[in-house]
Amino acid sequence: MDSSDAREHLEMVERIVAASSRKLDVSGELFLVWGLASGTLDLIVQLVSDGRVPGAAVWAGPLIVIAAVIYTAIRVRQYRAMPAGRMTLLEREFLNVLWIALSMAFAVNVIGGNMFSQWAQSAIWSVAAAIVLFYIAVHGNRRALVGAIVLLLSIALANFSLPIAGYVLAGGMYLGYAGFGLADMLARE
Amino acid sequence: MDDLLLSKIRLGVVAELLNAQWVSFTDLAHAIETTNGNLGAHLAKLVDAGYIAEEKTYAGRRPLSRYSLTESGRAAFVAHVRQLESLLSGASEG
Repeated sequence: MDSSDAREHLEMVERIVAASSRKLDVSGELFLVWGLASGTLDLIVQLVSDGRVPGAAVWAGPLIVIAAVIYTAIRVRQYRAMPAGRMTLLEREFLNVLWIALSMAFAVNVIGGNMFSQWAQSAIWSVAAAIVLFYIAVHGNRRALVGAIVLLLSIALANFSLPIAGYVLAGGMYLGYAGFGLADMLARE
Repeated sequence: MDDLLLSKIRLGVVAELLNAQWVSFTDLAHAIETTNGNLGAHLAKLVDAGYIAEEKTYAGRRPLSRYSLTESGRAAFVAHVRQLESLLSGASEG
């Protein structure tokens, strides 16, 4: 092999590696669905505690979560049925972060439930959601950065407005998490 | 130099797999811009050498062959690229 061949091979490798080091590509749709579901849960609990809707309305909470889980399962099944071209190391790492953040939030809510008041449990979910968005943000997604900051701000704001903390946390989920999902979907079109 | 990676197609395949958990046969054929038969022959050589791993799975009901880079493939690629770079730097010094 001479030096011109070596140069040609190296240039090809650089081209391929540059093209494959893509930005993290996530599905905005699932952020939209889970942001709406989580926000609505907070909203319902706050409305019930304010006496604006009957107490029986809290039963809508589990139904909303079940609906979101079923929707997610259907979409994951459809995704698996598609002949996907590739999965990048970055995408695999993102799925790990998503899984760890959400399962830790769930575990902490279950094992530490007695320590946390109603809104502290909601805030833990907001923190997990913010971690996921910050991870997306460090791979070059500014919309995710905005979403993560909105979620953190909603926690700070809720901390100083406890009587309406549910509305504030719901707003954080709607704007930060679902808003990110919607913005990401619109940006693709 | 690594004889196996002197082929531009095989080097391209390994470079495609460098940042991927896995890549499907179809995606590799599209990226490398070669015929399925030619790509299949090159992939077989890389699999035999232990540089890449082949997994046969299904996407829905459709069969799907996908490939990932092994640790020895990654090490061979890094060593080969270093040798290419030293060949170039040697040529520019001389």
